Amino acid sequence: MTFDKSVQFRFLHKTDGQPLKYERVCIKEDKVVPWEETAKGYEISKDEFIIFSKEELQAARPESDQRIRIDKFVDYLSVDPVYFERSYVLTPEKDSEPYSLLLNTLQKTGKAGAGRITLRTKEHPVLVHPYKGALIVTTLRYAYEVADPSGLDELKELKEPKKEELDLARKIITDLSGEFNIEDYKDTYKEKVEQLIEKKMKGETITVEKPVKEEAKQLMAALQETLKQLKQ
Amino acid sequence: MVEKFTKVKFTNLDKILYPELKITKAQVIEYYIKMAPKMLKFLAERPAVLNRFPNGVEHEGFYEKDAPSGTPSWVKIFERYSESAEREIAYILCNDLDTLIWLGNLAALEIHITLALAKAFERPDFVLFDIDPELPLGFDDVVNVALTLKQKLDDLGLRSYVKMSGKKGLHIVVPVKEGYAFQQTREFVHKIGKQLAKESELVVSEFPSSREPGTIFVDYLQNSHGRTMVCPYGLRATAQATVSAPLDWREVKKGLKPEELNLFSVIKREKNPWEGIFEDRQQLEVS
Repeated sequence: MTFDKSVQFRFLHKTDGQPLKYERVCIKEDKVVPWEETAKGYEISKDEFIIFSKEELQAARPESDQRIRIDKFVDYLSVDPVYFERSYVLTPEKDSEPYSLLLNTLQKTGKAGAGRITLRTKEHPVLVHPYKGALIVTTLRYAYEVADPSGLDELKELKEPKKEELDLARKIITDLSGEFNIEDYKDTYKEKVEQLIEKKMKGETITVEKPVKEEAKQLMAALQETLKQLKQ
Repeated sequence: MVEKFTKVKFTNLDKILYPELKITKAQVIEYYIKMAPKMLKFLAERPAVLNRFPNGVEHEGFYEKDAPSGTPSWVKIFERYSESAEREIAYILCNDLDTLIWLGNLAALEIHITLALAKAFERPDFVLFDIDPELPLGFDDVVNVALTLKQKLDDLGLRSYVKMSGKKGLHIVVPVKEGYAFQQTREFVHKIGKQLAKESELVVSEFPSSREPGTIFVDYLQNSHGRTMVCPYGLRATAQATVSAPLDWREVKKGLKPEELNLFSVIKREKNPWEGIFEDRQQLEVS
């Protein structure tokens, strides 16, 4: 249910405006490697790999079973947002009663279900919680995926603020307090880029040329030959 | 990539234009590209009239004297008032490779050129004898008449150049010095035609008798301003993709067949029998 709406660009060759393609090139042979010849390597030390075939990794892949296993219920607000990863909407099955019951209860108690889910290749901790009349499952980061800042040197010798300073700061915060509204925030860079795109569309654009077909290749060869002759 | 070499935007390259031989538009364009060094000498600075076959030779084509709408700005245009059309005609001048490629992309399977340069629209530099047979006469009959005609021109001290019409006949051209009027060249061709008609039962020299079965018309009427002949090395819209190929007079003999000179064979021909034609402008004995 979340989207990356940032403006998408493609890399082009500046001099002729044509798209660039990415290729997997073998460092040793300096040749493009076909997909069938690729494998995954785990780097155990610099430039030293344990090689895995796609099949080996496929076998180890956990089964994605579309099931959320809820272990317990926690206060929704007690989970720090740094753990939040991605949210997905849950929809009721044919018999919507259990869904409705869970949604209502969570809404009334302010609780969220904490549990696990396997999505594609990864098992995630999750929270199931209400959002705008629907149940949402939000995947969470593991503890080891979030840095613990408490050990940072810069934080070791923080000065104790004076009482007057604290009072003043608290007053400022009170004055600036309000309801949080996500709509108040706009990506100004995105807006500027979109304006630029609109301007460019009215004026100069770079049209993408379709890949040259076999017959056009032959024409180009003939063209080069004739151009050479005509120059003589 | 293609832009590096031509300004033309290719379209429908895989469209089949000659169904019997399965020749695609790409192959037609390739022919024009490869023949350009030879063709452009004849096309340059001469008004071109197109016969276009966007759906291939098995469908009806259309003549186009005017540059079509959508003609790119880099194509040279020659504007000229036409008495018969009673308006200005915007002729295409196929002066460069890009224009020729563009004509190929328009499926212009026939490119016809005037017998005078644009700048000298009413003063021809080519005199054309168009030898055009009617069934049941065959190509050997055409060859006979052409050889007799050549002898006549030889006797007058004129060097003549021959090419396939690409259809049923032969075209014989005498390049002439600038200064003649079409009326003079037309009368000259007519006069020779009348002589041939006297000597041969097959030949007719007068327009009303042309198209009669079993005759060969020596057409003099093309020698008029605004009239055209198919460009040397130009394709024809025939099933066999025949070409109006310039010939060496030694090739003009019994057994010569128009379909032997087509898109595939002409592309491979190295000889260029009309090579010196522009340096060979001659004087006519005319009144």
